[in-house]
Amino acid sequence: MDEQDLARLSQLLDKDVELGEKLRDQATELDKKTRVVGGVLSKIHSTPAQSIPALVDSARPMLTDCQKTIAAIALLVPPHEFWRWKNTWNRQMQSAVFAAALLEYLSTRTLLSLSRSSELFGIQDEWKDRFYLQAEDYLLGIITLVNELSRYCVNAVTMGNYDEPLKISVFVKDLFAGFSMLNLKNDILRRRFDSLKYDIKKIEEVVYDLSLRKLMG
Amino acid sequence: MTANLSAPNRPQIVDAFDAFRQEFDDHNDRRERLIKLSRDVTNLSKKVIFLLHRLALEAAEDDEQKGIDHAVYQSRQKLAEIGQLFEQMSIELQGENFWRYQKTVSPGLQEYIEALSFAQYLESKTLLSFQQVQDNLRSPAGVPYFPLGVPYADYLLGISDLTGELMRFAITSIGRQGMISQKSLDEAVSMCKFVRDCKSGWEPMTAYIKELKSKQDVTTSCLKKIEEGKYFGTWSCITRSL
Repeated sequence: MDEQDLARLSQLLDKDVELGEKLRDQATELDKKTRVVGGVLSKIHSTPAQSIPALVDSARPMLTDCQKTIAAIALLVPPHEFWRWKNTWNRQMQSAVFAAALLEYLSTRTLLSLSRSSELFGIQDEWKDRFYLQAEDYLLGIITLVNELSRYCVNAVTMGNYDEPLKISVFVKDLFAGFSMLNLKNDILRRRFDSLKYDIKKIEEVVYDLSLRKLMG
Repeated sequence: MTANLSAPNRPQIVDAFDAFRQEFDDHNDRRERLIKLSRDVTNLSKKVIFLLHRLALEAAEDDEQKGIDHAVYQSRQKLAEIGQLFEQMSIELQGENFWRYQKTVSPGLQEYIEALSFAQYLESKTLLSFQQVQDNLRSPAGVPYFPLGVPYADYLLGISDLTGELMRFAITSIGRQGMISQKSLDEAVSMCKFVRDCKSGWEPMTAYIKELKSKQDVTTSCLKKIEEGKYFGTWSCITRSL
């Protein structure tokens, strides 16, 4: 093999190995931050309705804290190479979307849009082919939101919050209708989408139980 | 109480998911087109490799370098035709899409590189270099099909498959000759050295490129077969000279 050629290949390879390590470090940082938010949000299952706004407010700054790490990742990625490296951080972005969307639901009972999520994470337009919130990651985060809400639905009743389940039911059904519009292939999004029907079933049962006992407003 | 319940979310959600649907459909359609293009590149490249085997073996039998040159010339013509497929691929792989679909077109790219490197070996007994691959994958006007460059992983995996073809070529040419000529034995010896050098050159990189390790194992077994062919050929030559 040509010496020069071999040297060049080794150089390119080393550069990528180094970049991969740096990206993984940042992704680990982001992971830590999303876990912190996740930890706070997991308290909703044992927080009475009137204390939820305070919980939400305490979680918000933690999400904004992710902006720095996300920016650090964006600046590391070479131009046009988003898809080459995105698996390093996509799980963490999904968690971040989940957290942000849950906060939004608890505050406004609406769906946090992809563009609004991007804003929250400080994602710049000029990063476009290096780093952005990709549709699949956003949607996987939203599915996690539904999974969480079906659990919250059950626990809300336990805590005496009889209004929440119906709100959750309407919201989740809207989302399910949206997801049903997609032509999905046999990939992870398809599998996670399939799991939504179990969440819907659980929520329906809670709403039914409440209506049986005439507990809903 | 029921204020937040019904209408507000649905239209917003429907619009958003309609956009997602469009995006995913476009992506899947593009992926299908690229899968097809990659398959076509693979098929044509394999045909070139078969052509090279056939013509070069005939030429070796007639002991004619001219024959081999002709085989190489013909193969290069065919390989140039594949350029049109790369042209079509190039359209789909603009900007960030290159890395999005790199794995989809990888098989075709590797097969093409294998064919190209086989032609080059028969022509000049040299290994197709990384730079030569970059230079080759351009339109007649000189515009690269892959502006971001051909990935080194595809290059390495493509030329790694070359050893398999060389092994086939060596064994078949030894076999075809019946009584081994000194010439074909010399060929086998130089081919052996060539494959050995390649293998050791690639070894450091196996840790970083996923499929390279298993290809190295194939290369090793090819090397053994060439060595056994050499061994057989050596005895044959000795026997004849006795």
